[in-house]
Amino acid sequence: MDDGSVPAPLAPARHVFHGKGKAVLRASGNSASFSELSYGYPLKLLSPRTVVDGPIATVYVLSYGGGLVSGDRIDLEVDVGERCSLLMLTQGFTKVFRARGKTISDPSSDGAITRQRLSTTIRSQSLLLLLPDPVTCFARSSYSQIQTFDLAPSGSAIILDWFTSGRMSRGEVWELDRYRSVNEIRIDGKRVARDVMLIENRTTGQLKRRLAPYGCYATVFLFGPLVQPVLQSLRAQYDTIQQMQLSAPEPFIWSLSPLEKGDAGILRCAGKETETVRVWLRAALADVGKLVGKDVYDKAFV
Amino acid sequence: MAAPISTNRGLDDTEAYILLILADSNLPTGAFVASAGLESFFKHGFGGVGLGGGAGGVAVKQGADGTMVFLRSGIASYARSASAFVRDAHAIVAAYMHGEEGMGLEETLAKLGQLDALYEAMTLNHVARRASTTQGIALLTLYSKGFTKPPGSFDVPNGTEGVDMEDFVVEMKLRIRRGRLSGHLPVCWAVMTAALGLQAERSVWLHLFLHARALLSASVRLNTLGPYAAQQLLLHSVRPLVDNEMERPSTLHSGLLDEVDNLEDDDDVRPANTWPLGEILAARHDLQHSRIFNS
Repeated sequence: MDDGSVPAPLAPARHVFHGKGKAVLRASGNSASFSELSYGYPLKLLSPRTVVDGPIATVYVLSYGGGLVSGDRIDLEVDVGERCSLLMLTQGFTKVFRARGKTISDPSSDGAITRQRLSTTIRSQSLLLLLPDPVTCFARSSYSQIQTFDLAPSGSAIILDWFTSGRMSRGEVWELDRYRSVNEIRIDGKRVARDVMLIENRTTGQLKRRLAPYGCYATVFLFGPLVQPVLQSLRAQYDTIQQMQLSAPEPFIWSLSPLEKGDAGILRCAGKETETVRVWLRAALADVGKLVGKDVYDKAFV
Repeated sequence: MAAPISTNRGLDDTEAYILLILADSNLPTGAFVASAGLESFFKHGFGGVGLGGGAGGVAVKQGADGTMVFLRSGIASYARSASAFVRDAHAIVAAYMHGEEGMGLEETLAKLGQLDALYEAMTLNHVARRASTTQGIALLTLYSKGFTKPPGSFDVPNGTEGVDMEDFVVEMKLRIRRGRLSGHLPVCWAVMTAALGLQAERSVWLHLFLHARALLSASVRLNTLGPYAAQQLLLHSVRPLVDNEMERPSTLHSGLLDEVDNLEDDDDVRPANTWPLGEILAARHDLQHSRIFNS
């Protein structure tokens, strides 16, 4: 390496895997259950039994060993049935280890990108809450995810997608090779948003210059009739901001843009510390607790 | 497709003349009210110097540094987002102008409409959307009012090879007014330049150059950059930025309308936002207590 800093850790010694999973949630009466919940290494899906009022379920999307190795690939299909609410969580950061072989810094060898693919169907009057922990890309890692959300006209979703600068405790700041995240949202088959975020270090230190002083970036998509109260409270908060001249960037910053003539929205934020962003998001989306119950919402952003 | 200006092959007199006209900073394109997030960038304490403080001496020096910080990331992200749309839209209009089979007025407008809708779906910040559609329609108006043949000149119809681009542009404007098209800047730019006979790569290159120059002008108006420094940066610092973007995504054209599943490409060069911070700052434009730009 050219920067002489702490050597990036090698990925855990194991083969690469292609893990597939599928979760189908269906309502019956006042409860919801998974008519299918299948997964393969290194992916694991866990649905804790909880007492809830309504057709609401929680699922944890886990990867064994707590991280993804270059070349790993996860394909997950999720179907949220009519009237159901599904909260999707992870347990701890999704760690992406450094790429073996080919990297931008060493393009002569051949290696692999870590990939995740999530396809979701959100049926009538249902709600998907995708509130994972952030993705943390270690130095020299390369990560690519594609997430699609197919909503019925009365389907709703809150989709959080966030990433951090690396292992800040080790002084690792935006040293990843490449991170790419695609989110496509379709309502009744019509594409209404395709967000493609691509950050890469084409030259040493480029990302750090581009993204400083922040170490964590988040995007939240809010769609559908059920999220209107959440959207309205965000809007009310946003509209009170009057930006005066600052002498230096603040530790946290956010923006809110209306989509679909105001019926939907996209929130973006960034903070110097991941914890700042987590705490802010938990409070900003607190009205979600009214949709699925406080006990369920409290499992997010922990 | 390698040489920068990507493009000095075969610059004929007509094209050279059109480049001169389009490079005129007085061209009524609405670009002078857009700062593409630069004003917000300085307002939020980035770039090392505040606005409205009668910049002089040290402040202007810092402002030049801050402007370059913004330009480096901002031009890269805009180029990555918009270039492919200019290329593809240009190719569609060129096919129409050459009378290619299956590329009648309706088919051509339908294809442009798909590109336009994709650009809309990928431009998720309302300030950028607003600036893009405002400037888009301004370019079509400029074409209709400024670049069509003056009344009384009886010659070949507007455009080349017998296709009347005046009618085409009129129809496109009508559809934008009726809400059937958004009319985003990269698409409208491509329509105008193709209609004027500018080659595709030259059109992209000029588009990025004008974007960069508009940012420098904005910085001068914000008093974060002196007028001489702006010229200095334009001559020496901006050129490599623009040329760099021209070299990179030259294979971008095609595949733009692919389904999302086909986006899994290791050497992916498709449109993307490469500067998340710039996106937040640009979207916060309207929150500024006082502001002189529209974006």
